[in-house]
Amino acid sequence: MKAVLLKIISKNKLLVIGIVAVIIGAVVSEVIPPLVLEEIVNRLTDRENIAFQLIMTYFLLLAMSNAFNALKQILITIFGQKITHGMRSGMCAKLTRLPADYFVSNKPGAVVSRFVGDADTLESLFTKGIIGMAIDALKIIGILAVVFTKSAGLGILMTVSGVPLFFITKYFRKKMLGAQLKNRAAISKANSYIPEAIKNIRTIHAYAKEEFMEEKYDGCIKDSFDAINENNFLDSSYSPIIPLLSTVLIAVMMICSAMGGELRSFFGMSVGTAVAVISYVTKVFKPLEEIAMEIQSVQSAIAGVRRINEFFEEEEREIPMLEGFPEKLDSTDIKLEDVHFGYNEEHEVIKGTTFCVNSGEFATLTGRTGLGKSTIFKLILGLYKVKSGKILVGGQNAEMIPDEKKREIFGYVEQDFSLLLGTIREQVTMRDPNITDEQVKKALDIACLTETINSFENGLETKCTATQLSQGQLQLLSIARAVAKNPSILLLDEITANLDSSTEEQVMNALRAATENRTVVSISHRLYETSGSREIPLGSAFGDQGKSF
Amino acid sequence: MKLKKKEIKDPSKVMSFVKAEKPILALVAVSGTIFNAGMTAQPYFEGQLAQMLSDIIGGNKTASDMITLALIYVAVIVLVQAARFFKRLSVRIFANNVNRSMKRILFRTLTHKPVAEIAEESAGDVMTKAILDVDVCVEGIRKFTTEIFDTGVLLISYITTLVICDWKLALISLIFPPIAYILAAMMKVHVEKSAAAYKESAGMLNEATLDRVGNAITYRVFGQDENQNKLYENNLLDYEKKGIRSGLWETSLQPVYHIITLISVIFIIYFGAQNILSGEPNAWTIAEFTTFLSCFTKLAQKSSNTAKLFNAVQKMKVSWVRIKPLMKNIPHEEIPAPDAPRTLRVDDLSFVFSDGTELFNSVSFSAEPGEIIGVTGAVASGKSVFGRVFLCDNKYNGSIRFGDRELSELISERRQIVGYMGHDGELFQGTVGENILLGDEADANEFLKLVCMDSELTPDSAVGNGGTGLSGGQQQRLALARTLCHKRAVMVLDDPFSAVDKKTEREILDNIRKTASDSIIILISHRLSIFPELEQVLWIENGTITASTHDELMKSSEKYSELYMMQTAGGEEK
Repeated sequence: MKAVLLKIISKNKLLVIGIVAVIIGAVVSEVIPPLVLEEIVNRLTDRENIAFQLIMTYFLLLAMSNAFNALKQILITIFGQKITHGMRSGMCAKLTRLPADYFVSNKPGAVVSRFVGDADTLESLFTKGIIGMAIDALKIIGILAVVFTKSAGLGILMTVSGVPLFFITKYFRKKMLGAQLKNRAAISKANSYIPEAIKNIRTIHAYAKEEFMEEKYDGCIKDSFDAINENNFLDSSYSPIIPLLSTVLIAVMMICSAMGGELRSFFGMSVGTAVAVISYVTKVFKPLEEIAMEIQSVQSAIAGVRRINEFFEEEEREIPMLEGFPEKLDSTDIKLEDVHFGYNEEHEVIKGTTFCVNSGEFATLTGRTGLGKSTIFKLILGLYKVKSGKILVGGQNAEMIPDEKKREIFGYVEQDFSLLLGTIREQVTMRDPNITDEQVKKALDIACLTETINSFENGLETKCTATQLSQGQLQLLSIARAVAKNPSILLLDEITANLDSSTEEQVMNALRAATENRTVVSISHRLYETSGSREIPLGSAFGDQGKSF
Repeated sequence: MKLKKKEIKDPSKVMSFVKAEKPILALVAVSGTIFNAGMTAQPYFEGQLAQMLSDIIGGNKTASDMITLALIYVAVIVLVQAARFFKRLSVRIFANNVNRSMKRILFRTLTHKPVAEIAEESAGDVMTKAILDVDVCVEGIRKFTTEIFDTGVLLISYITTLVICDWKLALISLIFPPIAYILAAMMKVHVEKSAAAYKESAGMLNEATLDRVGNAITYRVFGQDENQNKLYENNLLDYEKKGIRSGLWETSLQPVYHIITLISVIFIIYFGAQNILSGEPNAWTIAEFTTFLSCFTKLAQKSSNTAKLFNAVQKMKVSWVRIKPLMKNIPHEEIPAPDAPRTLRVDDLSFVFSDGTELFNSVSFSAEPGEIIGVTGAVASGKSVFGRVFLCDNKYNGSIRFGDRELSELISERRQIVGYMGHDGELFQGTVGENILLGDEADANEFLKLVCMDSELTPDSAVGNGGTGLSGGQQQRLALARTLCHKRAVMVLDDPFSAVDKKTEREILDNIRKTASDSIIILISHRLSIFPELEQVLWIENGTITASTHDELMKSSEKYSELYMMQTAGGEEK
């Protein structure tokens, strides 16, 4: 993750420099205006005239302070966007390097939340957390510096009262966060009653337990209610603290200045200074309060950052290189030699399978469920590394076939169609820019889908949803996807398992066209029976023997 | 845990929720007014203090005058801040109360919905969204209530102060803030448009992320990893661009408005200085100058918040429109005591699906209290559908008479006549005891004994979400215990024994006979070993129901006898 962050920062050096410059500008332009005001008031007290330039200077400084603050905000927004963008790009690149196993053992929702939620936390860690804290610290330092030169007494008062205020703020923040967490827990519990009530509605109605359920729901709402009220109390108690403290400070300062003699000179007050300094008093506590809040958001961001870091540290697969791989395979036969494989160390799924499918042959893997027929497909497709033994496709190691060659070599029809985001055309091309319109058209012809798709108003550009096509039509679309790049090998995984007999006929017709002149391996009883392919029985109760060469 | 419930007169109106909170609103009004009117005290005293210092330096006043002034200042601010505390707390309590009332009504609407309506897939979605809408809506109400005082009262008090100090200067300085408002209103379209585009892009990015991750293996198999990454990069670029644009619109306008408002400062200082130096009898002092300037600065800052107020109200309106149809007062319903046992007579019964098609052609039978009627048939023959006929969720043709009354006409009494245990246990998160009693008073352990589970579970055992903490068989038996705890004259038990061994099944059946000796039990099961001892058997085949007995069916139905023989021949099955 560090590497990705450094890359983002080094790519946006100018932006970072800009942010630093603007922050300094913002702090300075916020500190100076009261000084000009001091001058104005002092002149007025001495009954001198005010030059128009002085007024304009004051106005321009206020305007600049505003402008700098906005500019700072904008640059930080841009920087935040650059960070999330860079982080997500980096995470996406990481997806390519993750082994297939990762996608099986991690739910997509969980991975997506790394991309969405956690990447956002990282952004807020930088913008609100680190940059925000730096700005606030600078503001405090700037104001204190000015106050100390103007009135050492007040400077000391501010510093002294700032310390307990900081801790009080932290204490309140912590308490409030606790109440918020309690509330969130209660809310999520209350929300879980909704699907429960829906699922159990018959029982609720049958026993007239509507009001019982309401009581239960209300109990959770009450927990949330109490937590919110606790938060409200803390919030309401905290909010007067800073104004009260400012008031007391101002009062003490004014009284001390009025005492005359040593004390006044220690507080260094002229009337103008008093007016200027009053505005500093209200200004200095704001950033202090912010820092206490920012510490909190940094703390809660840390969990997200940790999760992203874990994601980046996931083990990676070896990516097959295009270099050195032959332009074209010598043959399209598939050879398995004493292949052993298991998804984990303990349990072996494939125990010494050996078979060969010759170029142009149609073979069917048979055997009861759980023998790893689909697993063999995944191994042929190079998704996993075998534990021992060899899988050769056209003489090449299956694991070493580079991505660029995959679609030319394999057409894979999955057991269930994977609906992708996009139009019908994109279901076929998978948004692969190398697939021509001609190829799409041909693939749909082979899959007998041209007519169906032409009947849609937007034809190929229709946005594809799960309900728009029947199960059988989706399977046809899967065939079109598989044959789009005219692959030399076709792998068919139980593609007729979920079909009723009327659509099955359609799919079988499409397959007859698709399998012509190709090496075909399929998993399915029905296919074996109807197309007269060669059967490769996988295993028996006594272990696999992989006969039939 | 029992809660005092506030009566909401007409939940379809927002105002009735507000009206229910009158006492707390009164506190909001009083403290809000005091606080906001008191906010002018700060600038006023700042001016007075500066003036006092000037007088002391000039030798006109003494230090003790300053002490008095400073103490009054502190006292006033303490009062104002105390009002702030009460205002802040009360307005939040008010919002919290409304939130709770609204959610309570929503949930009540949900539990009273007919099963057919709930069965529609979107019911859960609608409800979950409605709950979120309540949060948004109440937040809008809260902000609106707060801002009535924080903006309304406050602006009025600031403006009043300004006018008192110098009405001409006040008029001049108040020219600029409205210009800023008008500009803001004009620019609002762009702000909203860019924000909407950003949101849309975020949605697209989410979809793309889910697609990239969810279909990662498919993409890998087709060698599309790199290609997909490039496409994903486009989404990221679009998101970044729109995010920055939206941020630009949102942040860059604020200082523009502010600067426009601040133009007034030039006039204030210029004319203010002239006022002080004029030497006329009603000339300004430093106090008035400082107060005026400080007051105006605060006003300028505050008035830039008004846009937020309008946004909150807008959001409130939108979300209220969505929840309004769900806001109904459902009157409390007195449930009569369970009915005495009577004869159940079913004539020419068939079940009507919501699309109008019928299932089962015209079955007739009758049962006396104490009888157990077995119902069986092939998988998916409609056994469960038959059981649900007695719940009257759907219409039926023919008649089901309990005593001399038609079941479909007994709207609320029906629930005290028919007990039901579904195929799915329908358990609630909580403990075993809670699931059995559902809030009633009884000894839960006694019912655990009836279903032979007292050695495995105690009433305090956790059930887990939807029963996930228990095995399938335990879930069924727990549901059965619950049904027995809520004994009814007619009890429909849908497959209570499928995961129980034969010995336990026997035992439980005996227990049922004992405790529910005067109930009519309709026992749906695919396990036939106990069927010979049941008083009647209904056999469902190809959509027709044959009402008969075990012995009769063994002779008349080939399928039934085959099924029975198969299940009993092998001894202990499963």
